[in-house]
Amino acid sequence: MNRAQKIAWLLVITISLGAVLSCIAFTVGYFKVGMPKALAGLGFMSIAGIGGFGPLIFGKDKGNVTFDERDKQIKRRAALASFGASYLVVGAVCMIPFFILGPKASISVTWLPSIFGAAATCTFFTYSVAILVQYGRGGEDGEK
Amino acid sequence: MAKSESSGERGRTITNQVRRLRFENGEITQQQLADRVGVTRQTIIAVESGKYAPSLPLAFKIARTFTVPIEKVFQYEDSDNPLHEILKTEP
Repeated sequence: MNRAQKIAWLLVITISLGAVLSCIAFTVGYFKVGMPKALAGLGFMSIAGIGGFGPLIFGKDKGNVTFDERDKQIKRRAALASFGASYLVVGAVCMIPFFILGPKASISVTWLPSIFGAAATCTFFTYSVAILVQYGRGGEDGEK
Repeated sequence: MAKSESSGERGRTITNQVRRLRFENGEITQQQLADRVGVTRQTIIAVESGKYAPSLPLAFKIARTFTVPIEKVFQYEDSDNPLHEILKTEP
């Protein structure tokens, strides 16, 4: 497993953990304390921030060559996939309230940072998943 | 023989003899070959297993490492081509 895969695994794990805990906390909070306070449960998404330390945690790969044309191709495809996913998220977040609330409704600008955060999280998650899928399971350790 | 099918090109496959050539050329390891051609070992594994079709420069580097023409290392098969079967059986 190379450095990119390790960082991708860390991001996938931290984002997934943050998302699951946030959902649980939000659901529990919604039924126990009601709506505005239940949003505090989304604070668990900050766990995903640990994934940002991946490049510092995982050192350089061993060997003379650590990055080649295949890695470049994989990263390019992953970036494209993540851009597509974030585009869909932003598109959905913009259009769904429009169709549900109607054209005359208005929403608070406090939602904008949340939309930005959701798009960023989606970008990193999709990028990491795309990296892992393209490299394959484990690291393709064949014969040495 | 490893086969790789380029995405979106059904019926068109690139096969390679890298693994066989490694053993015929002093049983060099995947790491040694990777170092000689300037890629990671993971890439050699992917090429050998047919999961990755290398770029032309890399394919030439691999062929030159084994001192054989590129077509001895990589073969392109186009089963969509009606002449494919004829060309295959031609001596």
